[in-house]
Amino acid sequence: MTFLTPLFLAGLGAIAIPVLIHLIQREKKRVIEFPSLMFVRRIPYQSVRRRRIRHWALLLLRAAAIALVVAAFARPFFRQGAVAAAVGGGAREIVILLDQSASMGYGDHWARAQEAARTIVRGLGSDDRATLVLFAKNAEENMRATADRTRLDAAIGAAKVGSGATRYGPALKLADSILSRSAIKRREAVLISDFQRSGWSGSEEVRFPEGMTVSVVSVSSPGVANLAVPSVTFARASFSGQERITVTAGLSNKGDAPVANVPVTLTIDGHEIETERATVAPHASGSVSFTQFTLTGANVRGSIKAGTDALPADNAFHFVLAPSDPVSLVIVDSGDRTDDSLFLSKALAIGTTPTFQVDVTTASRMTPSAFDKRAVVILNDTMFPPAAGGNALKRYLEGGGGLLVVTGDHTTWPQGEAAMLPGRLGATVDRTTGRSGSLGYLDYSHPVFEVFKAPRSGDFSAAHVFRYRTLQTEPTDRVLARFDDGAIAAAERKIGAGRAIVWTSTLDDSWTDIGVKPVFLPLVHQLVRYLAHYEPSTSWFTVGQVLDLTARAKGRADRSDRIVVTPSGERITHAGGGEGNEGLLELNEQGVYEVRPTSAPTGRPEAIAVNLDPAESDLSPIDPRELVAAVTGHATQVAAGPAAPVQEMTREESERRQSLWWYLLLAGLLLLAAETVISNRLSRKERFL
Amino acid sequence: MQSHAIPGARFVDPKVLSRVGNLELLARNVVEGFINGNHRAPFFGASIDFAEHRGYVAGDDIRRVDWRLYARTDRYYVKQYEADTNTNLSVLLDISRSMKFFSRGIAKLEYGCFVGACLAYLAQRQRDRVGLITFDNDIVSHVPPSAKHFNVVLHTMELAKAERGGNLAIPLNKMAEHFRRRGILVLISDFYEEPDTILEAIKPLKFLGNDLIVFHVLDPAELDFGYEDASSFEDLETGEQIPVVPESLVKEYRAMIQAHIAALTTKFSEHRIDYTVLNTAEPLDRALFSYLSSRERLMRVR
Repeated sequence: MTFLTPLFLAGLGAIAIPVLIHLIQREKKRVIEFPSLMFVRRIPYQSVRRRRIRHWALLLLRAAAIALVVAAFARPFFRQGAVAAAVGGGAREIVILLDQSASMGYGDHWARAQEAARTIVRGLGSDDRATLVLFAKNAEENMRATADRTRLDAAIGAAKVGSGATRYGPALKLADSILSRSAIKRREAVLISDFQRSGWSGSEEVRFPEGMTVSVVSVSSPGVANLAVPSVTFARASFSGQERITVTAGLSNKGDAPVANVPVTLTIDGHEIETERATVAPHASGSVSFTQFTLTGANVRGSIKAGTDALPADNAFHFVLAPSDPVSLVIVDSGDRTDDSLFLSKALAIGTTPTFQVDVTTASRMTPSAFDKRAVVILNDTMFPPAAGGNALKRYLEGGGGLLVVTGDHTTWPQGEAAMLPGRLGATVDRTTGRSGSLGYLDYSHPVFEVFKAPRSGDFSAAHVFRYRTLQTEPTDRVLARFDDGAIAAAERKIGAGRAIVWTSTLDDSWTDIGVKPVFLPLVHQLVRYLAHYEPSTSWFTVGQVLDLTARAKGRADRSDRIVVTPSGERITHAGGGEGNEGLLELNEQGVYEVRPTSAPTGRPEAIAVNLDPAESDLSPIDPRELVAAVTGHATQVAAGPAAPVQEMTREESERRQSLWWYLLLAGLLLLAAETVISNRLSRKERFL
Repeated sequence: MQSHAIPGARFVDPKVLSRVGNLELLARNVVEGFINGNHRAPFFGASIDFAEHRGYVAGDDIRRVDWRLYARTDRYYVKQYEADTNTNLSVLLDISRSMKFFSRGIAKLEYGCFVGACLAYLAQRQRDRVGLITFDNDIVSHVPPSAKHFNVVLHTMELAKAERGGNLAIPLNKMAEHFRRRGILVLISDFYEEPDTILEAIKPLKFLGNDLIVFHVLDPAELDFGYEDASSFEDLETGEQIPVVPESLVKEYRAMIQAHIAALTTKFSEHRIDYTVLNTAEPLDRALFSYLSSRERLMRVR
């Protein structure tokens, strides 16, 4: 209701007149000023009220009569008609952003979110259009702008909770893009979500222009209880030639109440191996270790299940185990001393990821068969293996083998085999007199030295170099390291699919003391890992990651098409020799994917375990108004007025049509007449007033 | 109170500042942006200090994509930097009628002016911009934050009079709309409203990332209700009068005001708002020292 002449409402002050008359008998007493009596008012007080009002009915009658007469002069009218006309005439463009991330599977959150979306659809006017956007980590238009409520309703009903993590940025950007394209002036985005704090970093750089509004529907629940298995670790040990694994499951309690004595079960290849009990304090983490078991083969599927709660998705954690594949290498030395390769073999005996299987032999004993199944060959200060022959080494390198040539006094390289050495070896430089040499330049962009890039991640300058061989490289060779005088310390050459690296000093204590420096161990490991093309195996992926099936298949002979069976049972065919995006598989579901070549329909398929983003387990919500403020730039949401030009009825016309003043004036006069009658009777009785 | 040549200069008491001045080193790390470049702003911006990589999302400026990282990882990442800023310090001073109350010595409004002026002085010395908003049931006066407005702030405080009733929600909502740039907001009031209502009124100020510092100014008479004679008490805000026998309700009153303070302490701490109760009977420098010290301790653990 509004008033045509609201100034007349000042006349409501006249109501005070009868009140003052009623209160005329107030007692005079000392008055103490006090800032606020809000607390005093709450305390029951038993004393006699000094300002008693008698004849309440008469007072109310007089006040109501005055109010009605004043209201009649202010000429009230209802704006409903005008508003209805505005609403009916101004179409709206609405984008419904429906969160389908994994956390929406908590309790009845998803059902409530669907119902909220349906309510919005039911409230659409005939000219309104709505777009349904489903989002988790990414957002997609599920239903393009339409006024068809049936289709929208069906799309909402067909939507399901996914396994993705929550990210509000992409969804709001998509909404901004959809609304910006619309020619309709009243534009609104409605965000329906559980408003996980982890989904909003505050730096998404989403800003809606003026005129677009964002409203929110929160389905979050207070005091959520949620136990999650965010990670699993494996401790490997060898026993009687077999690998034994200890699985330790991490548990995270994101709820306000402790989780006591919850069963945590380890399942391997579908068989429940062991169940342990765990207790986790509120907002704390814990872990459970299971008994060792023997790994019988590759592609062993495992899972951890911890209790049950309202969000079951994060109570399970899947993984795939494979026996660790040791890197096999052979160190070839001159055999002049018994401990020629002591430093190298000791350094390589320590490795765990991967483990190194090291054999030491002499150059004279090398045969072509010695290269078989070797990932790396290290020629440690020795002559070129005569028995092996250039052709065998060349075949080995072109087939993907790795060669590390460590130079020293005994190193010789025949002219005919120069193509397999990254450069031409020259004379020995002696720095034993005067200042010793040191490593002055390292190519940190190379995978071997990348781990040493960060500050305090390996001090190569501490190593003293007393002798080294000069090296002249070709333009196609890559120099990996140089000494302080500019001479090359390490260089690489690609030969076919293989890699060859030359180190121009020794890797022991004869020409340099690098063998006793802290960087020695990681340097040797990095060199061997790189030359062996070593890639650590991954036991699980996170939902949203993209897997390159083509790259995974490179090491295998079978290049046929591959069939991927998703955890929900969907079958997807990937081209075996696919280039570009053809070989990429987006892991959108939690569970175990199966990959099988079409040429081998039977047999054990390759398994890929996929788990939820651990952030999805943290259900603590953000204040939706904070998000709206960040997106709109207004700390408080300003209701957008009807933007479209509307043929609105004028105020005078609305008031004239309704003529409410007439009824109010009549009612006021009737009340005054009644007041006259009642007060006359009372005054006759009590002579009151 | 003796007069001074510079309007508002009496709010910057030399005795007070002589002790507060010793807190400068303490305060340097307490209040954001005390010295240009010394302060890490709480948001990412453009400067030379690299902060972190963030995954590329559709809509990001492709000029910020780290192509070197892309070459190594085959994934798109965006570089983010720390921004160095000076900050705005705005004093939001309640001048509703209840603030003119005093039982001994100094009125709450005057005490609030002292606090605001001292903090503004500290901020101004650190080259931050200072501003002032006075309000009762609406915004009364507004001095926008500026490096040159310290004298204007003092002058406006000098002119502030507690004349009308108070209501937090309306003026604070207007202020929340007004503050587009993040800064430090110092809210000084006696908070005679329900804790939930107060929090709802104040929360929008936090939404845009402002750092909110709240001072609850109370007269000792409001805390201990040390009246003896039965009298009519008049509510300064509403003018309502109620007959009161103090000795019969003093215990309940004290419990209620303490519960009110406890509720505000809990709710403000839940929303990471710094909250300090100031008793006008306590020396101002002690109150400021206590506040700045506690804030410094908190900063260490953040």
